[in-house]
This record gives sequence, C-alpha cells and structure tokens, in this order.
Amino acid sequence: MNPEPFQLLDRVIHEKGRLAIMSMLAASRELAFTDLRGALGMTDGNLTTHIRALQQAGYVAVTKSFQNKRSLTTCLLTPAGRQAFAEYINVLEQIVRQNKPA
Amino acid sequence: MEPNWAAENLQTIRTLMERSAVYRRALAPIMLLAGSLGLVAGLTGYVIGWNTTLHFGLLWLVTAFAAVTGACFVARRQAFKDGEPFWSPPTRRVVLAVLPTWLSAAAMSLTIIFTNVVNGELVLTLIWILFYGFGLHAAGFFMPRGIKVFGGLFVAAATLFACFLPVLLAHFYVNTNILMAFFFGVLHLAYGGYLYVSEKRKQTA
Repeated sequence: MNPEPFQLLDRVIHEKGRLAIMSMLAASRELAFTDLRGALGMTDGNLTTHIRALQQAGYVAVTKSFQNKRSLTTCLLTPAGRQAFAEYINVLEQIVRQNKPA
Repeated sequence: MEPNWAAENLQTIRTLMERSAVYRRALAPIMLLAGSLGLVAGLTGYVIGWNTTLHFGLLWLVTAFAAVTGACFVARRQAFKDGEPFWSPPTRRVVLAVLPTWLSAAAMSLTIIFTNVVNGELVLTLIWILFYGFGLHAAGFFMPRGIKVFGGLFVAAATLFACFLPVLLAHFYVNTNILMAFFFGVLHLAYGGYLYVSEKRKQTA
C-alpha cells in the first residue's frame, strides 16, 4: 500500500469531532452553535475547543450577534476551510481507490 | 490500520452533511395546529352549508392562510427558544421546495373561485389535496422521512379520488367540506399525535 496519501491528510480536520463539524458546515452556509451542539451531541466545552482549533487554522469563522435580546453564535466555513475540506475528501477518495482490489 | 476506515469516514461525512441539511424544528405542534384549524373549518363549512365554489373556496383559502401563518409563528418561537435563527438554510430549502406547487395551487384556486367553474368545489378539493401532497413530498427531501410519506399519501388519495370521481358522484353524495376536514383535519391531527409521541420519546432517549 502506498503510504503517501495518508501523509497528505490534514491533521486539523482528521480528528473525529472536528471532521464532524467541518462536514456539517460544508453542507450549510452557516450553522448556529446550538444547532451544531444538538446535531453532534457534543458538550459546550468540547465543541468550543474544536471550533477554536478550526478557527486558529483559519477554517472556520465565528460571528456573534443578538436575536430577540439573546446572543446568537453562528459558525461558517471560510474559503480556506472549504478548500481544505475538499482536499481532505479527495485524499480519502484516493485512499479508497487505492484499497480497492484490482 | 483498518483498510476500510477511509470509506467509513466518507460515509460518516455524507451522513453528517445530509443531517446538516435537514429541517429539525419539532413538527408535532405545527401538525396539531394545522389539523385543528382544518377540522374546525371543515365542520363550520358543513354546518353552515358553505358548499358553493365561492364560499367553499374562500373559507379554505382563509384557513390555509391561517395555518401557514400559525405554522410560521410556532417554528419562529421554537427557533428563538433554541437560540437559533428562524430563517436558517434548512428552513429556506423547505420553503423553496413547497413554494412552486403551493403558489401554483393558489393561483389556480383563485381562478376557479372567481370564474364559476362547474363543480368548482370538487375541482378545488382535488387540486388542494394533490398539490399539498406534491409540496410535502418535495419538502420531505429536506425534512424527516415521514413527511415524504405523508405527502405521498395525499398524492395517492387525490389520484384515486380523481380516477373514481365519476363513479363516486353517480352513487354517493360527496360533501367537500367533510372531505377537506378529513384530509386537512383528521389526518393532520393523527400525524401530529404520532409525531408528538415519537418526538417526545426521542428527546427522553
């Protein structure tokens, strides 16, 4: 097996929780923090940590606003995040092709 | 390393992306509200005897408007309670899915109501059940699976009704208000009750 594609996998995205966040955000233009938390069944602290890691990598942007006097935190993928996610998928597909019996 | 992990990861990503696009507001209160309005409107129309195309048509257009407005208020309240935006991408997808068929049905209805079509109330009933079903079925691609089945039921019922209409009219008296009360009242209440129980079970699980 050619180990090269494994090395191309983005380590920031490859973690299970962060991959789930990236997948959810890739399908929606933006998602509320509470929406992500509910869909992924994560705790506030866990989700915050993962989002912070993705923010530091420049993959996710977080905006805070007010709606009906309540704070609303929304997350969305940045163009860099969208590109990194697409590349991650490409690498996975490459690995799947490589593992397929000839 | 497990050789299938990459394929499994891709499957997980696909599932998550699909889940992200699904509308997640609780549908039970919306269905129960729509069902109650449908039942009240149907029984009112039947008791008062609003069977002419004009009276029947206007009664049900007003009921539809009230049901849609009420549904928006319920969904908006749920969104604010959960600290989420009301006009979210899944909401937008659902609205865009139902809009073409429902707008088309509304335009046809207005034409029928104000142009004295023969048996207009029967034609309206058919159009509403059929197009409502089409709309729900289309929205079902962005909602929990049950909605697609519920919409399909309306489409199937309207199709059967249209096929057997001459036979039905020859042998039975068809009261359109009762028919509407069954489809838009009783069926919605039954589905709302089912959703209420199943959504509650999911929350406690």
